[in-house]
Amino acid sequence: MDGRMKEALRYLGYGRHAVDERTMGLIEDSFAELEEVADRKFVYRIFELIRDGEADIRIGRMQIHSASLGRNMKGCTHAALIGATLGIGVDMRMKRHSLNDMARVVVLQACASVMLEEYLDECQAGLEKELEAQGRFLRPRFSPGYGDFLICHQSEILRMLDAPKKIGLTMTDGYMLTPVKSVTAAAGISTTKEPCHIRGCESCGKRDCSYRRN
Amino acid sequence: MLLDRLGKELLFLDGGMGTLLQEKGLQPGELPEIWNLEHADEITDIHRRYVEAGSDMVLTNTFGANALKFHSGKYRLEDIVKAGVACARKGAELAADGREVYVGLDIGPTGKLLKPMGDLAFEEAYLAFRETVRYGVQAGVDFIHIETMSDTYEVKAAVLAAKENSDLPVCVTMIFDERGKLLTGGDVPSAVALLEGLRADALGVNCGLGPRQIFPVVEEIRRYASIPLIVKPNAGLPKQKDGAVFYDIDPEQFAGDMRRIVEMGACVVGGCCGTTPEHIRKMAESCACLPVLCAEAKEDTIVSSYGKAVTLGDCPIIIGERINPTGKKKFRQALKDHDIDYILKEAVAQQDSGAHILDVNVGLPDIDEKKMMCEAVEQLQSVTSLPLQIDTSDPETMEAAMRIYNGKPMVNSVNGKQESMDQVFPLVQKYGGVVVGLTIDEDGIPPTAEGRARIAQKIIREAAKYGIARKDIVIDVLAMTVSSEPEGAKTTLEALRLVRRRYGVRTVLGVSNISFGLPGRPLINSNFYTMAMLNGLSAGIINPLSADMMGSYHAYRALMNYDENCREYISRYGKEQQKDQGAVTAAPAQITLKTAIEKGLKEEAALAAKALLAAEEPLDIINSQMIPALDEVGKGFEKGSIFLPQLLMSADAARSGFGVLNEAMAAVGGSDEKKDKIILATVRGDIHDIGKNIVKVLLENYGFDVIDLGKDVAPDVIVRETLKRNVRLVGLSALMTTTVASMEQTIRLLRQRAPQCRVMVGGAVLNREYADMIGADFYGKDAMQSVYYAKELFGRGIDKQ
Ligand code: SF4
Repeated sequence: MDGRMKEALRYLGYGRHAVDERTMGLIEDSFAELEEVADRKFVYRIFELIRDGEADIRIGRMQIHSASLGRNMKGCTHAALIGATLGIGVDMRMKRHSLNDMARVVVLQACASVMLEEYLDECQAGLEKELEAQGRFLRPRFSPGYGDFLICHQSEILRMLDAPKKIGLTMTDGYMLTPVKSVTAAAGISTTKEPCHIRGCESCGKRDCSYRRN
Repeated sequence: MLLDRLGKELLFLDGGMGTLLQEKGLQPGELPEIWNLEHADEITDIHRRYVEAGSDMVLTNTFGANALKFHSGKYRLEDIVKAGVACARKGAELAADGREVYVGLDIGPTGKLLKPMGDLAFEEAYLAFRETVRYGVQAGVDFIHIETMSDTYEVKAAVLAAKENSDLPVCVTMIFDERGKLLTGGDVPSAVALLEGLRADALGVNCGLGPRQIFPVVEEIRRYASIPLIVKPNAGLPKQKDGAVFYDIDPEQFAGDMRRIVEMGACVVGGCCGTTPEHIRKMAESCACLPVLCAEAKEDTIVSSYGKAVTLGDCPIIIGERINPTGKKKFRQALKDHDIDYILKEAVAQQDSGAHILDVNVGLPDIDEKKMMCEAVEQLQSVTSLPLQIDTSDPETMEAAMRIYNGKPMVNSVNGKQESMDQVFPLVQKYGGVVVGLTIDEDGIPPTAEGRARIAQKIIREAAKYGIARKDIVIDVLAMTVSSEPEGAKTTLEALRLVRRRYGVRTVLGVSNISFGLPGRPLINSNFYTMAMLNGLSAGIINPLSADMMGSYHAYRALMNYDENCREYISRYGKEQQKDQGAVTAAPAQITLKTAIEKGLKEEAALAAKALLAAEEPLDIINSQMIPALDEVGKGFEKGSIFLPQLLMSADAARSGFGVLNEAMAAVGGSDEKKDKIILATVRGDIHDIGKNIVKVLLENYGFDVIDLGKDVAPDVIVRETLKRNVRLVGLSALMTTTVASMEQTIRLLRQRAPQCRVMVGGAVLNREYADMIGADFYGKDAMQSVYYAKELFGRGIDKQ
């Protein structure tokens, strides 16, 4: 079983349970379908980071009050804002299958999440490489709407990234990203290298890290 | 006058605005349009520099100035737009030096995604653009320039706003990627078809790419467009250094590349991101003496959706006829019940069977046709990318549907009666479309081919008065029932040949009428279909789910060499042969209905249900096999031995079993038992509906009549439907904290106006306490919980352990 499949099963809640063949088949089909309809796009931009207090930072002209972000970005001089999407085709496919195949929708949705994470990791790795050449290092990425990093920053992030125009990433009045399978995030940049886990502090083994966000 | 010069001489636009503003201190994320008021001199100066550099057309600094972005802030939209126009006008006057310089009102996208995939309604987008247009017109701009659009739907709202609220020339450019695709998936021919249909005065491409990457896109637009071509690339692809974005094509190189672009046929050229007055100066110098290539008129008959264009050419195409209530009891019921999913399923089934265009007819005496048509058209566009044929005899419905359709529709129909032409042609003129012309007029249907051809000619001539080209008319010479009209088929075939040959127009025909009243209708239909294609039929309106018709179609294409190496034919019919042979050797293993459901096997469940019907009553089968199987699976899900995908596969299998049983019951007229009704909706502001759809499937399997109001549903709509349909249970879903507020609001309103109704809620951010807090009666932590609650509420007992 490959990593993707395992991840998809995790999203579907299988945990360690044995999985039936039909679900496995559905997962394989779904990944294949996504390869066909997903139109992956990524945009990032680096901004200066200014610290106004323990829990108050400014990324470019965006003011954020967040204790966990404040801690996580301690010692950072800059921050990268990131936006990524699998495109509107995925949303449409899900809508279409929801007419007569909800099992497929549920699996497709899990697979799309896996694909989006994978894609973000890939993009982030590229960015990391670029930064490392300049002696700078990336902390884990952080999405608005998680912890005390408020979702209301969504609109500003999209604007600072010019995301609607660059990658077709927009949001609803209720701060939901459209296309649905999309992510925005912020990640600190510092001149010291931490042993960061690509999936963030939650997955990271360094329990005593002073930048830990959770 | 700009219009007199567009397309006849080379005109230079200006270059980037944002880049220059950033040099002057504009921060990323700051709204540049505010500078029109706060730093008017800087803005004026930028315009002045462009005009000095040679721009004949300058665009106001109003790219993001629309009602959606500027209604709550410190500044009024009106002031921003008018100040923007004043800056541009002043900059132009300072530097024009006797030249004529045109000021264009610049309009960019709203930054929001339109419904049904996003939450901005088409009319809201229209109103937002309209406001900007009106201020621009009041301030005296010379033309309207809509640019950087990546969504055909949004661009349609903008063009309509410009056209309906001004008499000015409208230029439109969209943003394509290297593959010639829009971010929303559309391609060049579909965008061109849409914009030409809407009567843009010039169209083209801007932003996104540098001049070199844009070459192929320019070439492709040239291939399809009949109107002047605008090209406005970036100064290369964006790069980042130290947090700043920059573009690295210098003015020299830019000028050289733009020369190529003019030689390729562009007649309005300028620059976008990263270009400066220097880029424009060099470009103007290097291109000044180039001749302008006029765009020649293209003759292809093209209809489009948001995602693709379909050409009616020599190789026939298929228009799916099934979205039409005529003679279909189930369909009529679905319309009465407002069952949009029924229509969507018909669409998907036809697309999967090979239809190229879908006819949409929802006319029924006792429903609001206009409302239903608009809803169907909007929703269809979220599940299929096939172009639609709007089929109605009501002009109001036709206009409303053409307006909200995302593309250049096919329109069914106009006929030779003056009244009909007076009603339909203005709509086609305004919204664009390929219109079906029926060869019938005040005197009825002529009995001869010659007579029908004459009506075709009348239609073509009348259309020309509206500027509707021949390519945008397809003629339907009408097929008469051969059992009552012995010469009918022959006349039709002759008429097909005649209009094709004499007027060069494409043709369309509803094929199945021919066999009315005869036995073995498929036999007649499919043979007549072949004959019609051979005589010049461009698009048959047929049932793509009919194996006979599709057989004729694919055979025809193979025989006439439209199917290269018979590839399509072989891929379709090669498999069937194998299947036939396979069936002889391996008999399908028998499994029970219960097992089929538990294992989630759709086809097997249907087969098993059919087999059981030989000996048992449908209701007995449901009670002895289906319900126990569903309960079994439900329990497994509760215990954690079965997971969501399996639960849903079982639900689907059960549904196909129910399908068979319901049909059997309907056949003896006994399926009309009153079902308990439940409303489901995702609350206002929430566009995630997977959770709601899961609950729906399960509830339906347990025999509930689920009224699905969809996603992003306003509280008052939910209340209204609850009262109207006398519903006792409403299920609400919300996925994000931001939308729980509207869930609470909905519950409050329900309590006031429909106190007898219970409310169950679910969704990722909810829990028991939260649900109590907002006043719900029940919180369903998973889909099965909602089923149990509904069963309990409706007194069906709970057979859960
Ligand atoms: S806990 Fe791990 S991932 Fe988080 S900041 Fe520290 S090193 Fe990086």
